[in-house]
Amino acid sequence: MSEIVFKAVTKTFRLPRGGEFLAIDTTDLRIEEKEFVAIVGPSGCGKTTLMRMAAGLEFPSSGSVEVGGKRVVGPGPERAVVFQQFALMPWKTVRENIGFGLMCRGAPKAEADAAIGRYIELMGLSGHEDSFPHQLSGGMQQRVAIARAYVMNPAALLMDEPFGALDAQTRIVMQEELVRLARRNPRTVIFITHAVDEAIYLADRVVVMGRKPGRIIETIDIKPLRAEGGWEEMPIEEVMDTPAFTHMRSRIWKLLKAREQAAADH
Amino acid sequence: MAAGNALLRPSRAVLVGTATVLAVLGLWWLATSGLRLLNPLRLPAPSEVWAAFQQINGRGYAGATLIEHALHSLGLVARGFAVAVITGVPLGLLMGWSRRAEALVNPIFLLLRPIPALAWIPLAIVWFGLGDTGKVFVIWLTAFVPSVINAFTGVRQVDTILIAAARTQGASTAQVLRHVVIPGAMPMIFTGLRLSLQASWTTLVAAELVGAFFGLGRVLNIAGQDIYPGMILVGMAAVAVCGAGTTWLLGLLERRVLNWRPAV
Ligand SMILES: Nc1ncnc2c1ncn2[C@@H]1O[C@H](COP(=O)(O)OP(=O)(O)OP(=O)(O)O)[C@@H](O)[C@H]1O
Ligand SMILES: [Mg+2]
Repeated sequence: MSEIVFKAVTKTFRLPRGGEFLAIDTTDLRIEEKEFVAIVGPSGCGKTTLMRMAAGLEFPSSGSVEVGGKRVVGPGPERAVVFQQFALMPWKTVRENIGFGLMCRGAPKAEADAAIGRYIELMGLSGHEDSFPHQLSGGMQQRVAIARAYVMNPAALLMDEPFGALDAQTRIVMQEELVRLARRNPRTVIFITHAVDEAIYLADRVVVMGRKPGRIIETIDIKPLRAEGGWEEMPIEEVMDTPAFTHMRSRIWKLLKAREQAAADH
Repeated sequence: MAAGNALLRPSRAVLVGTATVLAVLGLWWLATSGLRLLNPLRLPAPSEVWAAFQQINGRGYAGATLIEHALHSLGLVARGFAVAVITGVPLGLLMGWSRRAEALVNPIFLLLRPIPALAWIPLAIVWFGLGDTGKVFVIWLTAFVPSVINAFTGVRQVDTILIAAARTQGASTAQVLRHVVIPGAMPMIFTGLRLSLQASWTTLVAAELVGAFFGLGRVLNIAGQDIYPGMILVGMAAVAVCGAGTTWLLGLLERRVLNWRPAV
């Protein structure tokens, strides 16, 4: 069981110069087992903070976060994280970075090597197995970070702008790959992105956040659209041209814009 | 083009270095033997230094040949430095990792740190006599400090997101230390080792000047008493060569261990 439940969660940060900052105001969110939820919202609205609380790297100031019915007390390999900053170990090669979690788990070497090899190939990293991160482009580093999360075969995937550093073509390949992976082996996913298109294309549900203070403005069901439109059988560029998709995109944009306006007027 | 430059650069550096050394030697010869500007008791001519060099290599000086003195000094530095690294780096790592350890050790550290190496020598002689143990002890004391401080700073500078990432992958505390904290601190640890090595040589020579049966410091001390400038320069040059040699070895090790870093 790996549903992720935020119950009346608030998060305040103590500022170094004294005082407190309310990063997340009372937030309720339930992500079902094997549901794919995308979070969109302006910079600084608390997307990363929300995800870090599910990962067990940050704890709510009030309320609770539960995964699979158990309160989150720390990180664990069943909740893999793709960090916004990649967070690769500079002293480990591509292969070692991808295999680190398997090594920690004590996976048999042959099995681990096979899994690592599979994801190196899948992420288009062949030929760079023994490179160090600084020898890779930003996009390649990001793909290592994604492979490192997939290889753990986690019950929940927490992805913080995982495609942010990719070029447009690679991004589309990765998006389609993620859809394929999600279909073959569904799992609970939190997927943070700035790209509204990406959120609609990938997610079962899109959570729209606003800032000052950070909170959820609206959650929008996408799943019915996908089923009705037959999106899963269509290439991504065609999906993005359907009226249902463009309508959804402008709806989310309007939400974000109205919220920003309100924050600015404040 | 870039590859060609990279190939050219070291040889150009060697060329410039050689030219500088030759120029200094030339000026030295001119000032002493050539134009006789300087009193030979202040600065000896190259020929006198050469004669002193031959003497210490042949008959020996201050009880041994140059190689024997140098090996003795190297042995002391190696021991003092090794003990300092083996004790200092783990202590620094521990202090960096655990606030409690830092709170415990720091006060002692702050008190002992301002005491210069030379101030320890009399105590070392009282405790251990003029033998090797006292010198290893003093080298350890001074070389210890940079190893501790830099390992400590190295740990504190490890990117916390890397620790977080390792923990989300199921790493235990021991695995976080071994695979994240220690490698992350390694560049700073090496900075500490370089400083510790320098401190080792400085302290060694000082300790041998005060009291020793062998060693390069002993050569310098006796040559000073004999008012033998040629031999003084031989001793100084030997210290320089030994110091540079050990620093070079440490640099080799550093480049091997930190092979994951982008070349500068
Ligand atoms: N450790 C911290 N201490 C103080 N303030 C913090 C801390 N972490 C986050 N914040 C603040 O909380 C707010 C939300 O940060 P968060 O990183 O979650 O934003 P985000 O939505 O992920 O933004 P972006 O899209 O730019 O990544 C920001 O205003 C940030 O300054
Ligand atoms: Mg963020």
